Parts: sequence; structure tokens; C-alpha cells
Amino acid sequence: MSGRATQRPVRPPGRPRYKGKAPYLFLSPYIVLTAAFFVVPFVNAIMLAFYETNGPRSHAFVGLANFVFLFTDPVFRRALFNTTVFALVSVFIQLPLSMVLALLLNSGGDKVKGFFRLVFFSPNLVGQVLVGILFSVLFTPRYGLVNRGFQMVLHWGLEARWLSESRLIMPAIVLTSLWLWVGFNMIYFLAALQTVDKTLQEAARIDGASPWQIFWHVTLPSMRHVVIFVVIMSVIGSYQLFELPLTLLSESYGYGANDAGLTLITYLNYNAFRCGDLGLGSAVGWVVAMIIFIISLIQIRLGRIAEED
Amino acid sequence: MRFVSNFPYGRAPFWLLVIAVVSVGLRVATARRHEARPDLVVVTHTEAQFDAYRKAIPRFERDHGVKVQLQFANWASLQARLQNAILAGTEVPDLSEVFAGSLGFFTRGPAEDFGLLDLTDRMHADGLDKRLVESRLSLWSTRGRVYALPHDVHPVMLAYRRDLVEALGIDVSKLDTWDKFVEVGRQVSRDLNGDGIIDRYMLDMRYDGNWGLQVLMFQRGGQVFDQQGEVAFATEDNAQLIRWYIEQTRGPHKIGYECGWGQPVVRAMTDGLVLFQWAPDWRSWIFADEAPALAGKMALMPLPAWTPGGRRTSTWGGTGLMIMKQTRHPDLAWELAKYLYFDTTQLGERFLATNILPALKDAWNLPEFATPFPYYSNQRVGQMYAELAPEAPPVYSSPVDDAGRLALDRAYNRSAEYYSEKGEAGLLEKIRAELAEAAESVRRLARREKILAKGTL
Repeated sequence: MSGRATQRPVRPPGRPRYKGKAPYLFLSPYIVLTAAFFVVPFVNAIMLAFYETNGPRSHAFVGLANFVFLFTDPVFRRALFNTTVFALVSVFIQLPLSMVLALLLNSGGDKVKGFFRLVFFSPNLVGQVLVGILFSVLFTPRYGLVNRGFQMVLHWGLEARWLSESRLIMPAIVLTSLWLWVGFNMIYFLAALQTVDKTLQEAARIDGASPWQIFWHVTLPSMRHVVIFVVIMSVIGSYQLFELPLTLLSESYGYGANDAGLTLITYLNYNAFRCGDLGLGSAVGWVVAMIIFIISLIQIRLGRIAEED
Repeated sequence: MRFVSNFPYGRAPFWLLVIAVVSVGLRVATARRHEARPDLVVVTHTEAQFDAYRKAIPRFERDHGVKVQLQFANWASLQARLQNAILAGTEVPDLSEVFAGSLGFFTRGPAEDFGLLDLTDRMHADGLDKRLVESRLSLWSTRGRVYALPHDVHPVMLAYRRDLVEALGIDVSKLDTWDKFVEVGRQVSRDLNGDGIIDRYMLDMRYDGNWGLQVLMFQRGGQVFDQQGEVAFATEDNAQLIRWYIEQTRGPHKIGYECGWGQPVVRAMTDGLVLFQWAPDWRSWIFADEAPALAGKMALMPLPAWTPGGRRTSTWGGTGLMIMKQTRHPDLAWELAKYLYFDTTQLGERFLATNILPALKDAWNLPEFATPFPYYSNQRVGQMYAELAPEAPPVYSSPVDDAGRLALDRAYNRSAEYYSEKGEAGLLEKIRAELAEAAESVRRLARREKILAKGTL
């Protein structure tokens, strides 16, 4: 019988073992708050997706009907398409622009770097809603700064209806988001560039590599962790795009002419909070979460493959 | 101090605990006691109404010996919070003003969830239904019952640059049909300096349809939803209207240009870029407020009719006052609602401050409504709107109201894009198909609504 006692794991020396309720008491605030503000809403959100609701109290169980409705709804498909286009633009236009700005700034002096870092980052300080309101004025046909600028440079665009013509709505959102986010991502790239080993770049230069070759074969691989992080965050952010189209296209609840500005979260917001159907909104939320999860997994896997290569 | 040293996990958790207990104690001790809830709480979302009610409420408080609290709230948050509070059974104001088109939002699902007091019988008992503009009750009715009092009528006229229009030799009294209006519009909408850009347009017309299209649709007797709440916009008449609207905003002889809102409209009016603007009563005041330099240069005229002798107005917008089912004083709330909306001693002054025509017909005979308005070349603006008000068309609502309006816009914009790419050929067929598809998309949503009303799949 005493053998059993001898099998008990030996506690490492120096770590006292506490008995009683005290540890649980100290843990309880965290457990209670997590349960109240994370676990319960999380479970509730899952349940909600299977109900049609009218606000928080009135509901009817509809099984998978919300998901069936979503995947057969052309408006939802349009929202998915628009959001994906925006995410692609973020990755293939916004991030390269941020990188170019970061490279330019990195080659400048410290004072210049500090000044332009603030200039490019500052749009991010004012927030998306204010930027949306500001650009809705700048995009005014005939009188707006953007229209006048295009007319001056390209002899086109004085009467361009950026916010009411469907083919121009997504470009308008992209232009606004570039102004807002390019500087923000640039900060990440600039910070990463400053950690790149200068001796490697110098060695490549001595070996006769061109600036492009140095960037592609030395600089970029050295900052790939940051690049992967920024790409993932940009894609996630793109799939959560909401405030900009909502403020730019406020008269149509963020939809825009022919749904050209509609994003997944705008669709969610409209159905959940404007129509009061929290169930459908929850279903959209889960679809968005799954999309983001899958895309992030793919990106992480691709990042690992690149790292192994 | 031995106790502190022996406290489980050491001194730090002990002091954290002390700080937590002391701060909670201080918070509780210094917390202000909740003031007793007033007898009635009323919420509005427009500044003009807030100012008017703030002046009026003290008299009601004195006369009834009660306390009324007036609150001002942002419309978007008010709508969502109010509906959720009603459904969740949490505290709501006794009375709340809401915008037109929102009744559907508050009347989703089964009738017992509505949270609004049914005002139909009270209105009949007080004879109000006969004293109000009948068509305005449509905005605030669903399933045959009235759930809010109408604040206004919002008949629509056209505001125009009288000086420029006269200089062009246009006699507005002859512009009594849209055909004549368009004919003149085609003559005056032109490029004046030869740079290929039109410098003068006849009318402000929203490019993507929206309210611009709806105002005209209502004038022709069309509806987004019918009285039973069924989709009603997929009609031949609306197809013809959409074709007309597309021609006026995108055709080779277009007369319409979208001015937008706020300062761009002021610039467009001041520069003479657009001669005529849509002017529901509330907007006639906004023009006077935002473009004071045009005082005396502006004038108003009724809308041209679609057929000779036809309706010369439409309607755009509206505000209503709802009483919540939760109120502890429904009779007092009803008295306050009537006092705020239909007390004729206030309505004259309120009209002078807003140009908004009340839904109460008795009020239109007050002297303030016959006062010449210098901004509009001394026209008697109140009288002009009052003469048109009985003709203001009804606008019905549905629990899927917004979806209906979005779907109509979608049909319009797809048709307009078709026109931009392929021109007139096949346009009418395209419009009909788009309207039918849009109507079906709304019916799909309405079917979901019925599931909710039944309480099961």
C-alpha cells in the first residue's frame, strides 16, 4: 500500500503547494469575466446563427436556413466578391506601395525619416469615419478636390461620380484606403528594414548585385516574418472593411449603386442591426470568420514553405 | 504586518485586494443617487424639434402638474437601441420621434412584440383622423392600425433661381407638365463656354435614383409597398418612369445633374449650374439657411404634373411620434403627444422657424402660414405648401422597407448601366426584368419575416 504513496510525483523544490480555496478565489475574476464576456457570447453567437431573430428576445429556430439563404443570396455573393477584390488590392497595390515608401524613407536621414514617418502615418490617427466623411467631400463631382485634381492632370474626372456610379465606387474606396493605410503598413516595413543585416547587403553590393537583386534576394527574405505578418493582418483587415464604405456611401447604408461598395461586414451590419435579424447577422459573422481562418492558414503555410526554401 | 507577510502569494496580492476594496467602497459611497424618473420621457432626434419642445414643455408641466424630461439623441443609434430595448424589455422613453420609413423596423415579427401603443382608437375618439391629412397616416400604419402621430406632410415643390429663370425668358406658370419642363430643360441645359462640359442644367437629379426616383414615383401614384405591405414597385408605370429618369440623367439631351448635399448644392445654386431644386417644405428652409446670398433671387413652384391637370406635388420624408407600450402613463403620454403636435398656439411660431407644414389641417389657417417669405421673393410659402398638402400621396411601409428601397435602386442602377453600355435598344425589357428580379428578392426576405411572425420554420 505504501507503494502508491511513493508513486506520487515529487514537487520541485522551492515551489510551495497551496491548499484550500485561495488559488481559485484569485483566478475567479478572470474566469468569471472570460465566461461572461467571451464564452457566453461565443456560444450564443453559434446558437444565434440557427435562429431568425427580431432583436434579442423574439426568435424562431430555422436550422441551417440562414446559411442556405446566404449562399443563395446574390447580394451576399456580391459582398463576398467586393470584399475579396478589396483584399487583393490591399495585398497587391497597398502593401507594395507601403514597401516602396519604406525603402525610400529608409535611405533618407533620421530627421527626414522621422518627419515623413509622421506625415504618412498621420491619416491613421484621425480614424476611418472621419476619413470617410472627408473623402465624401473630396469626391464631390465638379467641386471636389479629387475631381479637380484628375481634371487638371488627366483632363478627365471633373464630373466623375465616384460615389454614385457603380464602376467608380470600388476605386473610390481603394483610393481612400490607400491614403489611410499605406503609411500605417509602411511603419512596419520601415521597422523591419532597420533590422536587416547591413553587412549582407554590403556583401551583395560588392559581389555586383543590382539594387533590385539586393532587395529581392537579401532585404526581402530578411524581413519575411514582418511581411507575412503584415499580409495576414491586411487580409484580415480587408475582410473586416466596414467604416469606410459606410461613411462614404451613407445614404445607401454602405451598399452603393448596384451594391458596388457592399462588403461582408456592411452586409452583416445591415441585416443584424438595421433589419434586426441578429441570427442572419451571426451566420454572416461565422462565414467571415471561417474565410479569414482559411486564408490565414493558407498564408501561414505558404510562409513556412517560403521559409524552408 | 505578520498577517500581510503571511497572506497567500505574498504582499502584492494583499495590497491589490486592499486597493480594489477601497476603490469599490469609494465609488459606492460617492455615487450620486439616481434622480427619480420623471413622469414622462420624450426623445427627439432633430434640433429644430428639440428647441421647439424645450420651449413648449414647461407649460404642459404646469398645466398637468407633472415632470417631463426631453432628450436629444442621434437618429441611427436611437433607432437600433429603441428597438432592442423594446424587445429586451429594458427601460425605454415614453415617447419617441422617428423618421419616415422606420415604422417597419419597429413592427417586425408578431404584433405582440411591437412595443408601440396602438393609437388608432384614441385618434378616432378624439376625432383626429378627420383633422389630419389622411394620406400621412399611411406612413405610420401597419396591419390596419396606426402606431405614431404624423408630425408633418412634407409636400414637394421646386425651388428655382427666379432671377436666372426670368433672364432666360422661362415662364414657370407654363411648366405645368413634365413634358413641357423637359422641353424647356433641353433648351437651357448646355455647354456655355465650348469646353465640352455642360455648364447649366435644368434640374438637380440624383444620379443613382434613390430619393430622386422615389419622389417622382410617389407623384405618379406608385409605391414601394402597397397598403398590405406587399412589394408594389414592379409595375409597367415604374418601368416607364425609370426609362424617363435614365434619359434625363444620362441621355444625350439630359437635363438633370446631381448636386449632392450641403455646400455643393449651395455652390451649384449660386453658380447657376442647376436652375431648379427639389424643395419639400423642410428643404425650403435649409436653402434659406445655407445659401442666404440668394435671398430674393429664389422662388417656389409646384411640381409639373405627369398628365395635364394631374397631381402637382409629391412627398419626401416625415417624422412621427410613437408612444411606447411600456409607458406607465399612457393617457398622459397621449396628452403630451397631442400637445406637442397639434396645439395650434405653438404651430404658427414653429412653422416660421422651420417652414415645416404640420399634418393638422386646422393650423394652416393661422396667420403665420400666410406670411410672405422674403427669401422666396415674398411668396406666401406656407399657403403654397398648404394648398398642395391634401394632394400629397400616401407612402406605405413594410417590415422590409429598407430592403425594398435598396432593391428598387438596384433595378434602377442596373438598367441605367445597361443604357450607358447599349443605349435605348432593349432598355424597357431590361428595366422590366430588373424590376421583377428586385421584387422577388424582397419577397424572399418577406418570406423570412413570415417565419418570424409564425414563430417557427
